[in-house]
Amino acid sequence: MKKLLYAFLLVASASIFAASAQAQAIVIANPSVKSSDVSKSDLRDVFTGAATSLKDGSHVTPVLLKSGTVNDEFLAAFIGKNDTSFRAGWRSLVFSGQASMPRSLDSEAAVVEYVAHNSGAIGYISKSTPHEGVKVLSVK
Amino acid sequence: MKRILIGAAALALSVIPCVGQSLDDLNIQIHGYATQGFLYTSNQDNVFTTTSSNGSAAWSEAVINLGAAPMPKLRVGIQARYFLLGNYGNSITIDWAQADYKVNDKFGLRVGKVKTPFGLFNETQDIDPSYMFALLPQGLYSIASRNSQLAEYGGVLYGTLNMNTLGKLEYRGWDGVRAVSKDDGNFLGQRESGTTLPNGISGSAIGSTLRWKLPVDGLMLGASLNYVFKKSAPIVNTPTTGASQTTTNGTETVSPFSNPYYFAKYEHSKVMLAGEVYKNAAKQFVALTGAPVTEAINDDFVWYAMATYKVTDKLTAGVYDTQDINHGAALGPKRYTKDWVISGRYDFNQFLYAKAEEHFIDGTRTDFDVTLNPNGLLPSTKLTIFKAGVSF
Repeated sequence: MKKLLYAFLLVASASIFAASAQAQAIVIANPSVKSSDVSKSDLRDVFTGAATSLKDGSHVTPVLLKSGTVNDEFLAAFIGKNDTSFRAGWRSLVFSGQASMPRSLDSEAAVVEYVAHNSGAIGYISKSTPHEGVKVLSVK
Repeated sequence: MKRILIGAAALALSVIPCVGQSLDDLNIQIHGYATQGFLYTSNQDNVFTTTSSNGSAAWSEAVINLGAAPMPKLRVGIQARYFLLGNYGNSITIDWAQADYKVNDKFGLRVGKVKTPFGLFNETQDIDPSYMFALLPQGLYSIASRNSQLAEYGGVLYGTLNMNTLGKLEYRGWDGVRAVSKDDGNFLGQRESGTTLPNGISGSAIGSTLRWKLPVDGLMLGASLNYVFKKSAPIVNTPTTGASQTTTNGTETVSPFSNPYYFAKYEHSKVMLAGEVYKNAAKQFVALTGAPVTEAINDDFVWYAMATYKVTDKLTAGVYDTQDINHGAALGPKRYTKDWVISGRYDFNQFLYAKAEEHFIDGTRTDFDVTLNPNGLLPSTKLTIFKAGVSF
């Protein structure tokens, strides 16, 4: 029984840790973006190529991480897809002439750098990554 | 033309070190994919002009895509494709070549050779990396006669309207000229009986699509109407059977017709459900010098229902059922195709994937030709497909 309880606690702790890990991905934008928050549905539309502007009218351009934990967390938590499905969706847009592939960068520092210097850029990084020069959008 | 395309492809490949990434200064992107398929049919029936009853690997595609965004709202691009499927293709063609000006999310315009956005999958039916099945339902998205559906020379208006609590409405409207080449699968039966269209056939088409994304997360309902104006083209007939091998000229005319499509799609978490119905009623007249006019009637009603499930991050499984019934044909297996499909796709990584699929086909309405089936067709066929693809 004790073992069962320990196992349960272990799984529960792991779940809590996983949940808090998901919350580590934050959305950042160039200061030219007027909003300070964004709905999950608008964020999904922007990052899946269905929209190029936010509700406030700001034109936005998504920038991606090439791979990694933060990338996977962001896609799972905010877009509802895994990396394979997400990129397959973009490929269907690119190869049918409906969109250009968003820029994919190697590191979170590169994402911050790009977002800070490009009007309308919107990206995601982990909470702990320094992000001077960009604004953090809260996701409702 | 072929040389120019090969030259362009070579140029593109020479900058492969930059694959899949923007060339920053010019905002240029290069993407591509290639696939190789293998077909095997369980009995004597050969499909898609291949020798599938012996196993056939005559199914290859390679696509190269060049795009640039010289201004924030303007994109230009071109996509070339090498396609081989049995006796079809084995050539390089331009999928699309267009300029796209998107004013905002509510309004944009594409002009040039543009993809025709009808139905649930028409814009993406030739983009193998984008969906899980190896073959989409052939009554609607025939791999053998894509020319007649995929693209046209003209323009597409598009946009998305936010309807607040009612969700979002995407619209597409198109107007252009659709050119069907002499090699298209639509003409296979005629070719085998000795009638060719030296210049193919062209005609104007207009239409629109509405996709309503309901407030229910992941649910979309849609409808399209595609109207094709009357078209005609010269034909040449040289009988392949009988004593007379005399060549005669004439004209083939297709009367105006419209195709309605109704579709729905639901995506949530690991599940995707989709369904579509389609109707095609067209009359085709062949007038050869010195012979009475012959008439062929197509009155097809097609539907499918499909489901996919993401078993793991890399493995997706799917199933669909589809039926294509030509109500203008005589009773018998030639009148219909009913196809049950079970499929799986495995993504090794972002770039490489493989598909395996089994079709349980009843009827011979679509995908079978006469020349490669000299012993006739059996009414039921099992088709096994393996396919691998790489994209960047």
